[in-house]
Amino acid sequence: MNKQNLFKIAGLIMVFSMLLTACGTPATPAPAAAEPAKAVEPTKAPEAAAPAEAAKPTEAAAAEAAPAAADHPLKGQKIEMSILGIGGWVPSRLGVDMSPLFAEYAKKNYGYDVTFTFQEAPFSDLFQKANASLLTKSQEYNIIISDSQWLGAFAEEKAIVNISDLIKTNPEFDVKWVSPVVADAYQVYPDGSGIKWGLPEEGDVVVLYVRQDMFSDPKNIADYKAKYNADLPQTFEDWEKVDMDTFKNISEFFTRKDQGLYGTAYQYSKVYDFMTMFLYPFMFSTGGDIWDPKDGKIFGILNSDINAKAMEANREMLKYQPEGALQYDIAAIVDAFTQGKVATAFQWAAEGSAMIPDALKGKVLVVPPPAFKQADGSLKRVYSVGGQPWVINAYNDDAHMRVALDFLKWWYLPETQLEYAKRGGNPTDAATVNAAGFEDIQPWFKAYKYMMTSEHTRDFWHEPTYSTMLSTQQEGFTAYASGQVNDAKNTLDWIACEQQKIQFEAGRTKIEPDASCKNIKLDK
Amino acid sequence: MENVSALQRTAGKKPWHKKLMDGFDNSNLFPYCLIIPVLLFFIIWNLIPTLWMIGMSFYNYAFTTGAPEKFNGISNLIDIMNNDTVWGNLGRTFTWVLATTGIETVLGILLAFLFWNSAKLPGRRLALTLLFTPMLIAPASVGAFFKLLYEPDFGVINYLLSLFGIAKINFLGDLKWAFPAVTLVDVWMWTPFMILITLAALGSVPKAELEAAEIDRLPWTKRLVHIIWPYGKFVLMLGILLRTIDSFKTMDLIFMLTRGGPGNTTELVAIGLYRKAFEGFTMGWSSTLAVILLFIAIAFTSVYLYILNLSNAEKE
Repeated sequence: MNKQNLFKIAGLIMVFSMLLTACGTPATPAPAAAEPAKAVEPTKAPEAAAPAEAAKPTEAAAAEAAPAAADHPLKGQKIEMSILGIGGWVPSRLGVDMSPLFAEYAKKNYGYDVTFTFQEAPFSDLFQKANASLLTKSQEYNIIISDSQWLGAFAEEKAIVNISDLIKTNPEFDVKWVSPVVADAYQVYPDGSGIKWGLPEEGDVVVLYVRQDMFSDPKNIADYKAKYNADLPQTFEDWEKVDMDTFKNISEFFTRKDQGLYGTAYQYSKVYDFMTMFLYPFMFSTGGDIWDPKDGKIFGILNSDINAKAMEANREMLKYQPEGALQYDIAAIVDAFTQGKVATAFQWAAEGSAMIPDALKGKVLVVPPPAFKQADGSLKRVYSVGGQPWVINAYNDDAHMRVALDFLKWWYLPETQLEYAKRGGNPTDAATVNAAGFEDIQPWFKAYKYMMTSEHTRDFWHEPTYSTMLSTQQEGFTAYASGQVNDAKNTLDWIACEQQKIQFEAGRTKIEPDASCKNIKLDK
Repeated sequence: MENVSALQRTAGKKPWHKKLMDGFDNSNLFPYCLIIPVLLFFIIWNLIPTLWMIGMSFYNYAFTTGAPEKFNGISNLIDIMNNDTVWGNLGRTFTWVLATTGIETVLGILLAFLFWNSAKLPGRRLALTLLFTPMLIAPASVGAFFKLLYEPDFGVINYLLSLFGIAKINFLGDLKWAFPAVTLVDVWMWTPFMILITLAALGSVPKAELEAAEIDRLPWTKRLVHIIWPYGKFVLMLGILLRTIDSFKTMDLIFMLTRGGPGNTTELVAIGLYRKAFEGFTMGWSSTLAVILLFIAIAFTSVYLYILNLSNAEKE
């Protein structure tokens, strides 16, 4: 074959490929796997950074509060529901473990039989699984336990039900939450718009797990006093006053490599958002920010000197953490803490039951993580919010949509939330969290309640570009933490450039990457 | 008589379906019909996705934004050419290919010579079975297994080192150690393959020539250069090429061990591509990178075919 023919064939292949792609990408959706609910109306294309028009719930589902069994349209029917959640994550599992209670409730009050199946995937793969299914307009998963940052992507695809619309006809979903941070984190997209897309399944915050058996050891108390001329914190109230400088002393004190003991542990893993979630508190608590949601500006905000110092402080803490901390994820923290390898651990409140197994009951104190001293001497602590919302598949047919709404209405009943709390889940409704005795239900509830406020906890972008931006910054953050690059400011410059470019190219902001970005390299 | 004539009549006649099959067997369509299932499989699972990927490489499309794909010509390609992370990953991948294939080849040859002509050695079969076991295990399982062995606090390797007074080494979390540590796992896993290939290469050497060399008391080095190498080189080179191609695609093993970390120190191009495609969901950009990798793989395969042809030509 001569060269001319070869080029002709290559050209034809390329043209054919482009046509194939142009004619059949997911933007031209495949036929629905199931007949979508009648009232899931077609919506207009969203403007940049503007909310997508609501995917509305079905007429049937939009009916008023639960009717009696006699007039429920599903009376006598058998329904199978599918929930997609996070594998190995207790609160996710609880939503399904408690479903037999709903089945009883539904039989009694609505007259239908319902069973639930639970599909799961790890944090890092769940979005891929959920999004791939929703893009094909499938009702494979009737309800999804989403991560809060995915609301934007799902909402822009109009793949989930608009809860704001739902509330108009189903006031049961207008729940009073324990703090405005609940709505901001688990419901609203775009940030600040007030338009709700999710309902909190589980609230979660970063708390500090403390090995009280080590802290109350008289020898440790005496040695610490002798070395630092200060008392080791013993109570929840003592820990409220602990700042990061004091915490460094505590961590240094307990770091005894010869005994295999270290001061603390938190996550530096490159997986998903693991390092991000534990670096952000250093930024948020020292006055740093990551972007301006109003205009989408990142460059000039994320790459501030404050944030660079925060990164340095975060890396400095590595010396008080076990070998291998750079690889630490949620499970590794559980192992390190429960095996007595660390005296304290920054961990999600949702991991409470894993962090305090039977063998450690009575030996662990759960407290707010350290604060950061401000220029005026005051203390500030702003940590990342965890937790996940429920989102409802907008492509559910009438029957499944109806059951999904019945289930979620049941979920927010006070008795259900109380049962959820007793089983180790973190409720978010004000009635349950503010009820007398709530803090005594689980050992971590006092710290959870303390941290679940706008003052102490915040979320970050809910943008559709979330995963792309996250992947970029995880690369930069972990490169710096590992010592592969050593200039924190340059690392932030690089991340800010990349993220600004991602947002600009996705049409999410009108601000172009800075001209200096052309010369900024991660590994300069 | 009537019965006999009826038998005679039917004996000459074939049922209609047999006639149809005979006609079919003799027609030109028959060979095409045989390959249709394979062809369909190839078109549905290989050709269309590949063409789709090539097409997607000219678009800006993210899986998550809900926005339709946007034609952007060769912008993705230009972006990749200017992307330091991609170049870093490619450089690391070539280092990885050289290191793993090189070490595995040398070790494989040395160990294969130990087993060559050792048919009467007691326990040979058991030893070979044990030696080949690593390459039969799924890379993800090997990754999980070695992650525990390398663990700084309770891992067996650190325990053994501590017996000699050597301080704990954070093999997978330390910038200096991570790359050699994952290389070692790959070597453990794939050296048996090179042993197998070398044994096959040595098996292709005619015994008569070896016996003649023995009688002539030819020095060992000369036997290697003038007798073993000419016969064994093609099989060995094919083995090296197969390992090179396979090593270039490494993903699951490192994904389990370090996920490309610490930082990017063990991030090979396949892992970088996975992160962009299935963590960042930048489908257009990732398709472009996949097309580039496809061309690199084609280049490797061309070398493979060239050597194969060379071998056939020499035989002729």
